[in-house]
Amino acid sequence: MLSLRDQFPSLASGLAGTYLDNAAMTQIATPVLARMTSFETGGRANVKRGIYPLATQATAAFEGARAALARYLGAENPNEVVFTSGATAAINLVAHGFGAGLTAGDEIIIGEAEHHANIVPWQMLRDRVGVVLKVLPVDDAGYPRLDALDDLMTARTRLIAITHASNVTGAVTDVAAICDRARAQGVRVLVDGAQMAAHGPVDVTTLGCDFYVVTGHKMFGPTGVGVLWARAEVLETMTPFMGGGEMIRRVTFGETTFAPPPHRFEAGTPPVTQVVGLGAAADMLLGLDWPEIRAHEQILFGILMERLAALDRVTVIGPEGNARRLPILSFTVAGAHPHDICELMGARGVALRGGHHCAQPLMDRFGVEATTRASLALYNVQGDIDAFTDALDETLEVLA
Amino acid sequence: MSGADGIYDARIKELAATARDLGPVEHADCRHEADNFLCGDRVTVEVERDGARIKAVGGKVRGCLLTQAAAALVSQAAPGLKVADLRGGIKQAEALMADGTPATGAWEGLNVFTPVHDAKHRHDCVLLPFQALAACLDQTDPQDD
Ligand SMILES: Cc1ncc(COP(=O)(O)O)c(C=O)c1O
Repeated sequence: MLSLRDQFPSLASGLAGTYLDNAAMTQIATPVLARMTSFETGGRANVKRGIYPLATQATAAFEGARAALARYLGAENPNEVVFTSGATAAINLVAHGFGAGLTAGDEIIIGEAEHHANIVPWQMLRDRVGVVLKVLPVDDAGYPRLDALDDLMTARTRLIAITHASNVTGAVTDVAAICDRARAQGVRVLVDGAQMAAHGPVDVTTLGCDFYVVTGHKMFGPTGVGVLWARAEVLETMTPFMGGGEMIRRVTFGETTFAPPPHRFEAGTPPVTQVVGLGAAADMLLGLDWPEIRAHEQILFGILMERLAALDRVTVIGPEGNARRLPILSFTVAGAHPHDICELMGARGVALRGGHHCAQPLMDRFGVEATTRASLALYNVQGDIDAFTDALDETLEVLA
Repeated sequence: MSGADGIYDARIKELAATARDLGPVEHADCRHEADNFLCGDRVTVEVERDGARIKAVGGKVRGCLLTQAAAALVSQAAPGLKVADLRGGIKQAEALMADGTPATGAWEGLNVFTPVHDAKHRHDCVLLPFQALAACLDQTDPQDD
């Protein structure tokens, strides 16, 4: 695994320290930086319409990234990949573009464990259009309660918006089971894959969902870029979210006709360099030995769980075992607030996140104000877990 | 021991421990709930008057140790002061965080937070109870500015 670590400059240099905040942002990989640098220094031109060689090459690089993302997400058709500025932008795009086809009284089911990015756009749609929001509760381990789904679904249900994996508990949703039920009733499913995408290729075809969103900075790529994948036939029916250049077929002062997807949803100059970088990240991830990486992540995560279980002031929020989860761990410590823990851990070189993790309704569900979260990625090593445990011992002593 | 440990000075911890005793006041003249939008910490402040003077400041803290300590300090320093003195305290807390200016008079206790001056990312933790207090006072004693 050390050679993998060498692919991440901030880890190889030691500057990122003991980095356990991967659910917030993963570190960027050398091949990603290399491809972005090469684009900026030798291939920079605006994409889509230029016809001189530099521009056509830039467009090819851009569309190559689209194809790479399609491969990473298991989509056959690259034109189902829409580049956005991130997962948040992708969900907002759906809330506008798909939401425009909804009417007052239509229903959307959202998960109780959602990141605010998969709650607030739907509330805003509710306020615009009058759709009804319903919440699919989670069980005590943080998994969506599929047994509650049948009761929530009605003839007016149009969409289920659910996370593939919780950024708080790491619990992985049985998306395929949800999609099966949804499909039987003609309901669309949007899956928030922001966390999942850092832990191996996704297969939207097997999952059976209609929308899947990811974000570059959580999959070893750059910031400022993300993806909405959506079935071609769904994209086809969606109205654009933003208007401008690059997304039109013809413009007169009287009216405008729109370009076909995905361009219809990519108004203006896209973040070309970031897209190219994200393509490099997808290519890199596609080349890795995932069974080995997952086994490695699980071993480390098991050690982390064991160490925390030995501390009696600590309560873990979320699934207990290693099954159907990502290596993301949230915990509380009796008498110590997560922000204070993170401050002191940070001073000891351990990067953690404390707070509500943009999932306040889930905090309410578990009756906690905030949690401390450690999240692993493919490059973490046992030394990181050791550093975490040592720093936590010291931290809890300071806060005693 | 590292630099950050300084903000977990024993006096701050003691003060924070007393935040447990905070609770609602008997007859609140004003009440305000303030959220730190970045971290989600939340402080509720209630003020009860007795004529021109403050009888009690109570409330509730859902936040880190620094926020707890600052809320506790407010509730301990406020009784017997006038509204203008509370506003003075808010200004002193802001000045201590902004440029390390030591607090004086009734608010001298604020100086336990001096080590936080160097931790800019935690200033809002200390200031949140003061922001809640300011908004609370604005309800009954709006400022002219
Ligand atoms: C589960 C989940 N969904 C959505 C997002 C939003 O991603 P972005 O901020 O990149 O748009 C995040 C980021 O924290 C996340 O963890």
